[in-house]
Amino acid sequence: MKIMPQNNIIIKNGHVFDPSQKLDGVMDIYIENDRIVALAKAPQGFVASETIDASDKMIFPGFIDLNAFIGEPGRTHRGNMQTETLAAARSGFTSICSTPDSKPVVDSAAVASLIQDKARDAGYCQVLPIGALTANLEGEQLSNMSSLKDAGCIALGNLEYTFKDSHVIKQCYHYAAGFDITVMVTPLDVALANEGYMHEGPTSTQLGLAGIPESAETASLAQHLILCEETGVKLHISRITSKRALEMILTAQERGLPVTCDVALGNLIFTDEDCKGYNSLMHVTPCYRSSKDRQALLDAVNAGHIAICSNHKPHDLAAKMAPFSATLSGISVLDSFSGVLFDLVKQNKLTLKAAIQAVSSAPAAILGLGQGSIEVEKSASLCIVDLDQSITLTAKDLASKGNNNPWLNKALSGKVVCTINQGHIVYQV
Amino acid sequence: MSIQLNEEGRLKHFLTTEGLSRDILTEILDTANSFISTQERSVKTVPLLRGKTVVNLFFENSTRTRSTFELAAKRLSANILNLDIARSATSKGETLMDTLWNLESMYSDMFIVRHSDSGAAHFIAEHITPNVAVINAGDGRHAHPTQAMLDMLTIRREKNNFENLSVAIVGDILHSRVARSQIYALKTLGCNDVRVIGPNTLIPKDIESLGVRAFNNMQQGLKGVDVIIMLRLQKERMQNALLPSESEYYRLFGLDTHKLAMANSDAIVMHPGPINRGVEIESAVADGSQSVILKQVSNGIPMRMAIMAMAMGGQNQDRQEQAK
Repeated sequence: MKIMPQNNIIIKNGHVFDPSQKLDGVMDIYIENDRIVALAKAPQGFVASETIDASDKMIFPGFIDLNAFIGEPGRTHRGNMQTETLAAARSGFTSICSTPDSKPVVDSAAVASLIQDKARDAGYCQVLPIGALTANLEGEQLSNMSSLKDAGCIALGNLEYTFKDSHVIKQCYHYAAGFDITVMVTPLDVALANEGYMHEGPTSTQLGLAGIPESAETASLAQHLILCEETGVKLHISRITSKRALEMILTAQERGLPVTCDVALGNLIFTDEDCKGYNSLMHVTPCYRSSKDRQALLDAVNAGHIAICSNHKPHDLAAKMAPFSATLSGISVLDSFSGVLFDLVKQNKLTLKAAIQAVSSAPAAILGLGQGSIEVEKSASLCIVDLDQSITLTAKDLASKGNNNPWLNKALSGKVVCTINQGHIVYQV
Repeated sequence: MSIQLNEEGRLKHFLTTEGLSRDILTEILDTANSFISTQERSVKTVPLLRGKTVVNLFFENSTRTRSTFELAAKRLSANILNLDIARSATSKGETLMDTLWNLESMYSDMFIVRHSDSGAAHFIAEHITPNVAVINAGDGRHAHPTQAMLDMLTIRREKNNFENLSVAIVGDILHSRVARSQIYALKTLGCNDVRVIGPNTLIPKDIESLGVRAFNNMQQGLKGVDVIIMLRLQKERMQNALLPSESEYYRLFGLDTHKLAMANSDAIVMHPGPINRGVEIESAVADGSQSVILKQVSNGIPMRMAIMAMAMGGQNQDRQEQAK
């Protein structure tokens, strides 16, 4: 964060909504420096240096993203700290977990520190690096886990990068468990995925694209859950795609395993059928599955079981300008995230309560962060949203460098009018 | 509106048999039928594509298919350019786009495209400059619509209609672009009984969603069929845990006189070629009286002429509309 002078903000007349604190009503918020100092009633002698009128608007905790690709360092043709964190702030995010697949990989304290420094310079969002679980994400050697944690890595993950064998997975979990490090993985049995590009089902058969069976996710997930049980590692399953995987995780939780999970926003919107016509924007990792899977994932968000992440993967245009299987996977999400999320609420697919929890208190709990809520004495990270407005983004409106945004020129619900990160107004319409 | 049709609903690209109406498929068959007689004359060329430039854009080797397109283009009086483009292993997408931009600057009128990626012809049709027709000569596992249509022509000439036919497609359905195109064409043309026969490892998931029945047993699957379409089995299918051996495959799914007897006595036997004798079909059957394999080959030229002529017609119509 840039160094700013004393900063007292009052946000007046906004509808404060934070299910984790059971807040749901119009009240003023008083911010002093980076903290919330009072709700509803002004503290004695409070003099505001800035007043924000939030009449007819909602105020939510700042959103927390569990998985976003930023591009720094080394892959700045896809995105940089300035562009991607601004895109995040415009969607109401105040913290994002950056993926370790930069160049070089986040497997040293130096790279982890560099990312956080760059984020502070950009000043839009707190960036919490996910460190690599294995050296160079190669799945063979343990990374310097403890140093990475001390350098500010919020968790360590191999994500969709594979492990050499199951022994390496077990050793990683065993080691991480000793230092209370949260591990993030995206289950995928590469052999079962068999060089597939999309969900294996009627659409893959019709399009003649090699399919990724559900078992590529679930067989691998079973292995991770068993090793989680054996080692006691705090395991976060990143971006699940199938109903079956969800059921397995819920069962594991019932049995007391320290396991959590999230779903990518796109998997709550799209299904394998959207790949028809070879729309390369539907080529994503992990893949979109059936409408039955999508419904189960929506139900799980509504039940408060899982968090939602962006799975933001910006690419330049050339990456998607090829036949489906020759394109790079992933979509750029951050610019449109809030609009798509509030659209789900507007269409009654998600309750507002569930949607907000899934991007605030749920990810905060997964990461053990003291954020994601609107609370006196806690960090003043929040966003102000006009739910009655709609937004339509065109390519030139994007903050992200990624043109691979499937929601361009579509009307989406809700407009973030202000984002406050640790007491600083980082974005305001 | 389908990407294959112009605003008048006429064919302007030919990428897949899926989604085309019965009228259009029938028109293709009728047009091809009319070209058959021109092929029996001493002067075989017609001037329909005179002055047009056709580019054979083959990213995957295929001498046979390429030659039939070349011959068809020549018999339509077009100028033909053959380009065999070895695919680079990296940055395939950029190569394809770069290739396209280069070819566009040569003012071609039609691209005949073969590519190992499913959806490649579709991709090219979406990004090509207007007024250039794209004909799919095979894309990955997706479609090989000109082959399927020449097979439909062969079936119609032998059996007159499609309504009351039972058709079995046998072999490697999973990797077969021909099978997918045949299934869509047969269903659209009114054939209600389409069966696919093969081991589970060579039948794609949810194949029933295409409106066909799947059989693992040749004897059951062939019972009472009028048309048997055998598919080529690639040697590499013996790897990757798809099949145990050629001999077991032949024992179960190779078409021999014994298995052929399960079909109707006037059933025809088809194969898109090239044939693996003794792997998917017995020589006695391939060369036997029920085989129409060589007729398929001769129908390949008039069918490709018909499709090229119709697509060029659809593009010209577009061009005239734009000029107005």
